[in-house]
Amino acid sequence: MDAMFTTAAFASAEKMINAALAYDPATRIALSKLAPQVLAIKLTTPEMCIYVAPAVDGIKLLGHYEGDITTQVQGSAPALITLLKSERVNLKDSGVQVIGSTTFLAELQQILKKIDIDWEEMLSQIFGDIIGHQGAELIRSKMNWAKDRASNITRLTSEFVTEELQTLPSKAEVAFFNQQVDEIRLGVDRVEARINQLLQKNFQP
Amino acid sequence: MNEQKTTHFGYEQVAVEKKAERVADVFHSVAAKYDLMNDLMSAGVHRLWKRFTIEASAVRAGHKVLDIAGGTGDLSYQFAKLVGKDGQVILADINSSMLNVGRDRLIDRGVAGNIQFAQADAQYLPFPDNTFDCITIAFGLRNVTDKDLALRSMLRVLKPGGRLLVLEFSKPQHSLLEKVYDTYSFKLLPMIGKLVTNDADSYRYLAESIRMHPDQETLKSMMNDAGFVNTEFHNMTGGIVALHKGVKP
Repeated sequence: MDAMFTTAAFASAEKMINAALAYDPATRIALSKLAPQVLAIKLTTPEMCIYVAPAVDGIKLLGHYEGDITTQVQGSAPALITLLKSERVNLKDSGVQVIGSTTFLAELQQILKKIDIDWEEMLSQIFGDIIGHQGAELIRSKMNWAKDRASNITRLTSEFVTEELQTLPSKAEVAFFNQQVDEIRLGVDRVEARINQLLQKNFQP
Repeated sequence: MNEQKTTHFGYEQVAVEKKAERVADVFHSVAAKYDLMNDLMSAGVHRLWKRFTIEASAVRAGHKVLDIAGGTGDLSYQFAKLVGKDGQVILADINSSMLNVGRDRLIDRGVAGNIQFAQADAQYLPFPDNTFDCITIAFGLRNVTDKDLALRSMLRVLKPGGRLLVLEFSKPQHSLLEKVYDTYSFKLLPMIGKLVTNDADSYRYLAESIRMHPDQETLKSMMNDAGFVNTEFHNMTGGIVALHKGVKP
């Protein structure tokens, strides 16, 4: 694919993000303190690489970068999204690999979680105070709804699949099954050790 | 008989010592509306070409950058932000009109302190050896009389490990695109030039000079011959423009 397509896409996304960040000065200041570090996000599915560079006037989104990289995060898109939303600091079994400074990544994650764009100010400047206020109210309510949905959706889906469809076992059932498997494995180990001991005794000269 | 050395000025053959003068006339003529014409001619895509060049430059805080044929300062503006207060950017152009427009524009945009301006010929760069971390020349090399001499001059002033980026019109990689591009640049481009700057000839020269410029592989081998290593190029917009990169060993 011509490099210009990705360059154009990233340039547009960067412009939109920075236009929104202009209405969240706290985030912009926090991001500027992280410059000149660079985060490389290497997606395995779909295969692509995005470079995020915090700067004085917001962030830079690059599709091509040949300088030093502070941190590289590698994984599939769903795995990275899950990690971004979670509180976990351990990457074990997350499907995500991190190379370089994890401090920079944690700082960036904290800043992203605290983003609070002043939609009212932004819309007021375009449409005037009354429409701006109503528009901002609408965005706020939709965003709160989306946040609630996002936090509930994992729990609801899991309950539906286990309780209603009964296609998957519940967490407790899986834990009990694992415990039984462990006990059997230990039992087999003990029997093996006992047999070996008996064999040694019987065949000793 | 004393035979006079000639070179190309678009499709025209001119005496070597006359080319710089003729090129200067073109840019004196278009300087005032250079940015507007760039946007019109490329439908704004020149901004993406330059953005990609910045991305490939690996310039960071504290670096020294030379922007040759920097014209109205598009690249210098971005570099000045990247190198910060500890770095330095030099916007160089052989043409005083272009340099004046570039300087005014950068001052108007609040760029000062880490940028300097130099009226300089790319063939004889007036800087000490091993000075710059990065040199860019965007849409300028094709106007230089002796390109090999210019490349050697750039190599001399680059620090070892420093990189040269040449952004220049090149050869489209698809025959259909080449035909469309030819029609556009020889018929439509002079017409736009006539309408906006009342100067069709300068834009005819632009189209002709692009055709006379070495294609991707030729320029790459010229950079190798000059002494650059790890040379490579990226085609953009189907090869209409190419970014060549070389590193000083």
